[in-house]
Amino acid sequence: MYNSLTRIQNTFGFFTTVAFVVAALIAASDLITPRTPTAGLLAPTNVQVVKGRPHYYSSKKEEYAIIKFSLDADLSSLFTWNTKQLFVYVTAEWPGPGNATNEAVIWDSIITNPSADHLQNIGPVAMKKLKRSAEGKTIDPSRGLLKLRNQKPKYQITHPSSRIAEKEDVTLKLHYNVQPWVGLLTWNQGQDIGPWKKLAGGISKTFNLPALKKKDAQKKKST
Amino acid sequence: MADVLDQVRDVVDGQIDFEGQKITELLATILLVISGALSFFVGYILQDIKLAVYVGLGGTALTFLAVVPPWPFYNKNPVKWLPAGYAADLAASKSSQ
Repeated sequence: MYNSLTRIQNTFGFFTTVAFVVAALIAASDLITPRTPTAGLLAPTNVQVVKGRPHYYSSKKEEYAIIKFSLDADLSSLFTWNTKQLFVYVTAEWPGPGNATNEAVIWDSIITNPSADHLQNIGPVAMKKLKRSAEGKTIDPSRGLLKLRNQKPKYQITHPSSRIAEKEDVTLKLHYNVQPWVGLLTWNQGQDIGPWKKLAGGISKTFNLPALKKKDAQKKKST
Repeated sequence: MADVLDQVRDVVDGQIDFEGQKITELLATILLVISGALSFFVGYILQDIKLAVYVGLGGTALTFLAVVPPWPFYNKNPVKWLPAGYAADLAASKSSQ
């Protein structure tokens, strides 16, 4: 500490230690914050299976399931000071041969905490609106309240075999992934862990996918 | 000219005395620990992670400001050297006796 340079070095060195310890404490503060996510309703509202191509120039034809759904969920307890964003996604699951389970994402959404709004990849107008929606708030748990009605899926799903029509025992499941500013990524867990409760609900009743929609039959009806 | 250069060198070098070094060591440790603790608790209580970052960085900047420049405060106990040639004089006076 006898000249300026050693004082800069020593002070910066200890600053890195303090910063690391504070970051560890922030990550640990998540562990004592209760998480009580609930999902009231998750149900398919309209299910169709159609034929299509994976891309425009493909000669391969595949069957695609288009599952519209309704969802009520309260994920507001997942928003704390250390939450950067929440990734919410809905999967469709159906049993395969043997003990295999097929799983495909049909819809997802990124919900940012106000502290991370600037990271959202949206246009300037939508960004302004998003920022204004949480003006003066450091966290906004109300963003965790999801209410979707007859939501169109973002992804139409198929299967490596290209066949998905008339599959039985399909369920929809809600998942989430909490992405913190510091700490580990956490997903919805299968059981209660301390103050983190498992997601209540979030699984739909089983349903069957319908038979392939015939284009000819539809045309005949419409004419 | 040489005087000016000497002054510049002294400021950049920023040497302080032993007492000053003891104080800066203690001050840097205490200030950084306090700013770290403050940033965590302010952030946690107000649930604002950006504020926590700013408090932490602000406290660190303040620590640098307090510790790095050779403030006169750190040079209040300069080492009192014996006058130049003192030992030689002593030896000479002894041998002449």
